[in-house]
Amino acid sequence: MSYNLRLPRFEYLAPSTAAEVCSLLAENTGEARLLAGGTDLILQMRRREIKPRFVIGLKGIRELAFIREQADGGLAIGGMTTIQDLLTSPVIVEKYSVLSQTAAGMGSREIRQLATLGGNLAGALPCADFPPALITLGAKVKLQSRQGERLFPVEDFFTGCGQTIAGPAELLTEIQIPSLPSRSGGAYLKFHDRHSMDMTTTGVSAFVIWDETNRVLLDVRIALASSAPVPLRARKAEASLRGRAFSGEALEEAALLACEEADPRTSWRATRDFRRELLKTLTKRSLQAAWEKAVSSPNGGKS
Amino acid sequence: MGAETGAEARDEYNIIGKSVPKKDAWLKVTGQAEYADDLTLPGMLYGKLLRSPHPHARILHIDTARAAALPGVRAIVTGKDFPGIKYGNIPTTRDYLPLAIDKVRYIGDEVAAVAAIDEDTAEEALDLIEVEYEVLPAVFEPEEAVQPGAPQIHDHCPGNVAAQSAFHFGNVDQGFAASDSIQEDLFETQPIKHGMLEPHACIGVWESTGRITLRASKQSPYVVWRQLAMGLGIEPGQIRVIQTVIGGGFSGGKQEAMPMDFCAVLLSKKTRRPVKFVHAMDEVLSIGHMRHPMKIWLRTGVKKDGTLLAQHCQLTANGGAYSSIGQFSMYLAGAMLNLPYRLPNIKYEARRIYTNNGFCGALRGHTIPQICFARDSQLDMIGEKLGLDPVEIRLRNAVQTGDTTANGFRISTFGFNECIEKAAEASHWREKHGKLSKYRGIGIGCGSLICGARLMGHSASSAEVRVQEDGTVLLTTGSTDVGQGADTVLSMIAAEVLGVEVDNVRFPKVDTDMTPVDPGTFGSRVTFWTGNAVKLAAEDARQQLADIAAQKLGVDPKELVFRNRHVFIRNDPRQGVALKELVRWAEFRLGKMITGRGAYAAGEELIDFRTGYGNISPAYTPSACVVEVEVDPETGQVTVVGIWGADDSGFPLNPMAVKGQVLGATVMCIGQALYENLIRIQGQVMNPSFRDYKMPLATDLPKLANVEHRNVITRDPAGPFGAKEAGEGAGTGVIAAVANAIYNATGVRMKNLPMSPDRILCGLQELQKEKNGPQK
Amino acid sequence: MKDLLPLSLRVNGERHDLLIRPWRTLLEVLRENLGLTGAKRSCQEGQCGACTVLIDGKPVNSCLYLAIEAQDKEILTIEGLGRGDAGLHPIQKSFAEKGAVQCGFCTAGLILTTKALLDENPNPSEDEVRNGIVGHLCRCTGYFQIVEAVLDAAREMRSEGRR
Repeated sequence: MSYNLRLPRFEYLAPSTAAEVCSLLAENTGEARLLAGGTDLILQMRRREIKPRFVIGLKGIRELAFIREQADGGLAIGGMTTIQDLLTSPVIVEKYSVLSQTAAGMGSREIRQLATLGGNLAGALPCADFPPALITLGAKVKLQSRQGERLFPVEDFFTGCGQTIAGPAELLTEIQIPSLPSRSGGAYLKFHDRHSMDMTTTGVSAFVIWDETNRVLLDVRIALASSAPVPLRARKAEASLRGRAFSGEALEEAALLACEEADPRTSWRATRDFRRELLKTLTKRSLQAAWEKAVSSPNGGKS
Repeated sequence: MGAETGAEARDEYNIIGKSVPKKDAWLKVTGQAEYADDLTLPGMLYGKLLRSPHPHARILHIDTARAAALPGVRAIVTGKDFPGIKYGNIPTTRDYLPLAIDKVRYIGDEVAAVAAIDEDTAEEALDLIEVEYEVLPAVFEPEEAVQPGAPQIHDHCPGNVAAQSAFHFGNVDQGFAASDSIQEDLFETQPIKHGMLEPHACIGVWESTGRITLRASKQSPYVVWRQLAMGLGIEPGQIRVIQTVIGGGFSGGKQEAMPMDFCAVLLSKKTRRPVKFVHAMDEVLSIGHMRHPMKIWLRTGVKKDGTLLAQHCQLTANGGAYSSIGQFSMYLAGAMLNLPYRLPNIKYEARRIYTNNGFCGALRGHTIPQICFARDSQLDMIGEKLGLDPVEIRLRNAVQTGDTTANGFRISTFGFNECIEKAAEASHWREKHGKLSKYRGIGIGCGSLICGARLMGHSASSAEVRVQEDGTVLLTTGSTDVGQGADTVLSMIAAEVLGVEVDNVRFPKVDTDMTPVDPGTFGSRVTFWTGNAVKLAAEDARQQLADIAAQKLGVDPKELVFRNRHVFIRNDPRQGVALKELVRWAEFRLGKMITGRGAYAAGEELIDFRTGYGNISPAYTPSACVVEVEVDPETGQVTVVGIWGADDSGFPLNPMAVKGQVLGATVMCIGQALYENLIRIQGQVMNPSFRDYKMPLATDLPKLANVEHRNVITRDPAGPFGAKEAGEGAGTGVIAAVANAIYNATGVRMKNLPMSPDRILCGLQELQKEKNGPQK
Repeated sequence: MKDLLPLSLRVNGERHDLLIRPWRTLLEVLRENLGLTGAKRSCQEGQCGACTVLIDGKPVNSCLYLAIEAQDKEILTIEGLGRGDAGLHPIQKSFAEKGAVQCGFCTAGLILTTKALLDENPNPSEDEVRNGIVGHLCRCTGYFQIVEAVLDAAREMRSEGRR
């Protein structure tokens, strides 16, 4: 155990475009780390878990910080968009409120000022809050390298604890979220002991599309945080709800299925059993919240 | 937010009883207050400590050559560079060394120290020090450590029993025999860290003349002064300890000399330059100094009307690798079981066991919060069995002013009934208890504290008051302000006596070259002991001035009033003299420095720590706290929605400061109740971070409208202006209040701390299973 | 390996031209190069808020911010908020007068976050205040008198019409 006050030595590089970042990554493969907000990397460096030779700072790359409505009604969010920006963006509050809800629950004002959406994804910590929310929105991640660009569904992005499909010379530039149908709604609910600031013990995101005519769930997506090495999609739980009326029974069943699909571990932070109990509760509550939003969303009133 | 003071509008005093902002607040809000880490001295070097990675190991060899060769490293020291003299708090249990010599006894035990030109280099150098260890079997649980064949942690202590305390007053067997109902429970508490925001920090200077100066964040500079002398094998007169502004202490490392202090001065000797040490926060959270985790077995016998007849307590504390103040800790827990309820028969057996964990010592409340958690939780259980309301059973057993407890505490003032009534009233207990909605609950918990202790070593305080020729006052004591407001309250006392403003009183920080010797700040002693000394010193100064003024004005000194920096005749206020004129007259014409001296020692009686009998403190404070909670039955999460407390601090000298102290202590204990836990696995601290060692945040606490603190005023005859301690005692009952509220909300009785959501959820599931009936 | 980098910092309205090592945090540079020790070294993890400064008016944990990345930004530290002679900012005054200051180690960070909070939201509810300060640990006060001080400062600032 080292108890360090100082960061380790490194060389700092400050490119001004995404293309330059990719070049630097390619030239220094394995020796460089990207510094987005710093809320994870700085800690890891201070603890000497990571000692990169080069630190590539991304704060100066203006082209990476944006929230843009797309022509098809979807949204593109730059990787360097801060969590605070997500929280206060009018279009996100209005159209993708699950993301502002997730942002509101994350950390503190000071942390949100620095932490970035790209960082939250690229860090691939199992307890990260945005991956489940983005998965249920059907979001995609854009990676850029000297070879060009690749686009991945967020749910395919994570390969293990702290690991993603991104290569060592790739930069996460953008998150794309499709436009959402009417009568849809999403929620992200998480649990931790204190009322703020804690790492997520367990989190569940739900997104539902409500069939107003037939009064059934047209589509359901459920994704879990801190329930497996990677953010997990609870497909069996989803399947059990598709085409079904929204009822307490349906929720109970889905919650149990989600619980079974998940593979939470026992650590000194929380036991497997407790995480599974939370999963049941949060799945129900998240589905409930998502459904209520869907039912009362625009192009029609509450039924 | 309500606060009943009863003293705000009083004309009796000019300053005492009024809410006065903290004297150094303006320095702190402008960023000008100088804490130890803010200081630099010319040529200063930076020190770092190398710590053991093993919980138990022999040190075979330390090779510092590679580290010494690193450019920028100026000196390295190991245990052998010190005289090998053990130092510590209590003569029979001194087992600290500045740096380990033969053995390391816990992960984090200090092994070597480096001084370098900057912290980067010092940290790099640590990685280059090679220590050859022979790893030894380690033991982490007290029950295992006392078994024959267990690893012996200290040679002088076979069996690993670091300290014991036992007493028996009255006859518990008879008491139990006469009881209508007997309750027996085992409670378990967890290790708690101080959690102050300022890490330990110091700058050591060892001049070529042999003079040593340590600037450090220390609550008891004279304790450090003596311990440094002892560990270095020199006379205290060679050492000067200068207290820097303290960023929170709550006892622990800021109460004692630490390895960093020894290494700072010795490295300074070797390098002839000042050496600064600052701990990283994960370091602070990993090393020793914490509240004793305990297993408390408690057996209580009562009459059917709820009167307590007998109590038998067996307590095992996991003391960790060193003793600190642990011997006293064991005595104190049992001693305070005698308050705040009348208990004619009490038997107490406590053992503090060495293990290869971080060591435990004093932490605000010391061992009293644990004992109160157990006892006041159990009192509710007993009350429920007998059909008695929690408030009722407490009133029935309340210690009264004038009592002498079984262990010899003489209770001069104890407004406990009033504390209970006020807490019940403020919380609307009677309207709420038994009537709240499901999963909402209300609970009460009570406790008490001493006002300083008559220790075997240094207990007494003294003060010096010098009135200056501009009418201002220089007040020196050896007690420190750690943020609690001692600077302000002691200045208020002096100001009241001398008739000046609080701003006219200068209260310098403690400097062992300049200020009176003093035990320092701990055990809730400062307001009472140092406050009395200050009052006496100010009165001495006033008398000197009164005598001179009396001569000038041709009256008896008793006719004189000191107010508004003036001294005048009571019956003819036009006849008087400005205070500063009086001082100048005395100094210039009479050659008299107006220097008042006062000392307070609380009498000469001593406690017999072998029998546990004796009046440890000149006064005692009771407190009652009511907590209301809401529990989420599907997650087990607890939300504290209301806190109403009342405590008897004799007389609130500074109501705003009293409130701050009481609420701060309350929140600390809510942290222990719900969130905090230093998690150790095989001696490794898993959560040495504020992210995972979870202290309450602003969103974990009730809204202002649902929090109230009320003062109970008893005007203790021995306290300065009737004041007793405030703050430390008020937290002691809080954990039980939370436990009782959780029980009230859910039916789940929590006997293990912290009362975390997973445990509550488990409890709820157990209850559900029981309700559903036995398995077929 | 490149070591010292030039850095031009604007702190409390003054410009400072420095040469610093790239791995220095903004906290370290403020404290050690500029002698502005109001921001504190405490947890250094972004949990306690004792190192908080304002960068372009927004509160950040300066222990997590590389100094080199503060080039061309406006930084406000506690020392830039007010001094005894120039008059205290209402937030400083409220903190001092309402018992929100005990040991003081959390104070500077809290005051700066409060300034950013009230600049964005001059009339916060108690909940908004509590949520606004979760990035700050205080072990001494239990937060009650701090919340009172923030609300008091907000009232004062609204009545003065100042920021």
